[in-house]
Amino acid sequence: MLITLEKILLEYDPEAKNLLPALEKISAVFGYVSRENARKVADYFSLPESKVYETASFYDLVNIKKQPNLIIKVCSGTHCAVSDSRKIVEEIENKLHIKAGDENNPRVKLEIISCLGRCGEGPVAVINDKVYERVTAGGVGEILEEWI
Amino acid sequence: MQNSTKIITQHWNDINPLKIEDYLNVGGYKALHRFVKKMSPRQAIEEIKKSGLCGRGGAGYPTGQKLEMVGVSGATEKYFICNLDESEPGTYKDRMLVDYDPHLLIEGVIIVALSVGAYKAYIYINGNYKKQKDILEIALAQAREKNFWGAGILGSEYDLEIEIFSGAGAYICGEETALINSIEGNRGEPKLRPPYPTDAGLFGKPTAVNNAETIANIPWIISQGGEKYAKIGAACSPGTKLYILGGTVKNPGVVEAPTGITIRELIYDFGGGLPEGKDFWFAQIGGASGKLVVENELDIPLTFSRDCPIPLGSGAVLVVDKSVDIHDLILSWTGFFRRESCGKCVPCREGTFRLDEIAGRLKDGKISDRDKQAVYDILWTLNNTTFCPLGKFAATAFSDAISKLKILGD
Ligand SMILES: Cc1cc2nc3c(=O)[nH]c(=O)nc-3n(C[C@H](O)[C@H](O)[C@H](O)COP(=O)(O)O)c2cc1C
Ligand code: SF4
Ligand code: FES
Repeated sequence: MLITLEKILLEYDPEAKNLLPALEKISAVFGYVSRENARKVADYFSLPESKVYETASFYDLVNIKKQPNLIIKVCSGTHCAVSDSRKIVEEIENKLHIKAGDENNPRVKLEIISCLGRCGEGPVAVINDKVYERVTAGGVGEILEEWI
Repeated sequence: MQNSTKIITQHWNDINPLKIEDYLNVGGYKALHRFVKKMSPRQAIEEIKKSGLCGRGGAGYPTGQKLEMVGVSGATEKYFICNLDESEPGTYKDRMLVDYDPHLLIEGVIIVALSVGAYKAYIYINGNYKKQKDILEIALAQAREKNFWGAGILGSEYDLEIEIFSGAGAYICGEETALINSIEGNRGEPKLRPPYPTDAGLFGKPTAVNNAETIANIPWIISQGGEKYAKIGAACSPGTKLYILGGTVKNPGVVEAPTGITIRELIYDFGGGLPEGKDFWFAQIGGASGKLVVENELDIPLTFSRDCPIPLGSGAVLVVDKSVDIHDLILSWTGFFRRESCGKCVPCREGTFRLDEIAGRLKDGKISDRDKQAVYDILWTLNNTTFCPLGKFAATAFSDAISKLKILGD
């Protein structure tokens, strides 16, 4: 069954406290909040479109741009950092010929992110929504093969 | 040592977190019964004041006093918010609390919310804690079925609604006024205070915000009494604390121990010390925002007192040995604060950015004399001129690395 924006919005009463949860949900379902959808959200909540963007653009879990198919995130929190997460980033950069933080590649994005609260199982990487724990630089190749 | 009082982790391994019966079998929700049948909200707050409990979210503010401020307000609409946004690097104690004993937290939330006279409580959970959100939803449904919250709680006049609000990935939203902004549908930027949330918080109404661990102490205090609690741990900030041991220790993980314990006891008695062949270099207490301690400071007792030279913060203890590349850790700090600065004020937005750039050049061995001079200006500015404490947090570890680890030379 196709999930439409209208259906998502109906799960939320048009109150201020539901704006961020609705945006999160839309971003999770469609990958991002498009201009057109932002306009519909604004209408639904009776807010100016600029206000919807103001809120949407602030949060990591709400995207306002179309995302590449492959999104790789590597935790750089303190615990992961002292267990060599930087080497994992370098390994991915070399293997995929990309640079962490580059927003312009339409196929893949490598992001350095903050602690995910899984520090005991670090270093942690997330590909699309799949979480990998105790990642090593040597194990990067095998993980990437699942996706490419 | 290992047998000392357990308040929060008491049942972590002997109950199934998804079964309310298990929690009831070990005496769960007895504190709520006691509160509803035998105590007035004022008496409950009195008990919490007597306990000396102070905030576990980092600042150590006396919990009873905060609750009283909201409790005495005559406003008809008030809120209680449980802060489960936990996103300080290296910190996952509040997550474990939900993983192992969600009803303890829920019981605490109900008692505190009713004590301050709130009809609505929010549990604001870190947006990455999806599994924990599911656990809480299940546990909340079970508790509602037993009439522990909802309308006419346990046959009394008390009504309470509880709602989970999922954060959207912003460290600054752990700060209570930013958190409130984000529930209100705004950007998660801190607000100017006064007014304090206790006067004008969520939707402008009196609001108490407490950390999840703080709240998890409440059922014990209501059952056993504030005086008994006040005898545990350090007199200035009594009770137990969840410490998160990580880095180069034999037994990493979350442990519950009294406040006032020394860093050495945590690392060696609880953490089992460092693995063979690793030499201790320093530890960082309280996550990326925390201070560094070197060997001769390991006997400092950790408390929430302002006089404690090493703030306990989130309770994270990161042990770093001499084989670690310090530049990786420095870049972890600077990158974190650069990403998480909310951008509202210039000193922090620019300062965290510049500090991260300099840390990059330091790693590449390309740091100039100008950089070295600039670092002191940036750190001073972060420390003294930013709108909220995040600026200070961004300067703390870096400053210690300069003075204690001599990362810029002598
Ligand atoms: C930048 C920043 C981040 C914070 N993050 C958290 C957090 O993740 N969890 C938390 O409970 N408190 C956090 N706090 C503290 C809260 O503002 C607030 O003091 C706390 O939730 C009050 O609860 P307590 O008195 O029980 O500690 C943060 C504060 C600042 C300045
Ligand atoms: S200090 Fe940083 S996080 Fe705090 S208000 Fe200023 S920019 Fe935002
Ligand atoms: S530091 Fe990486 S998960 Fe916490």
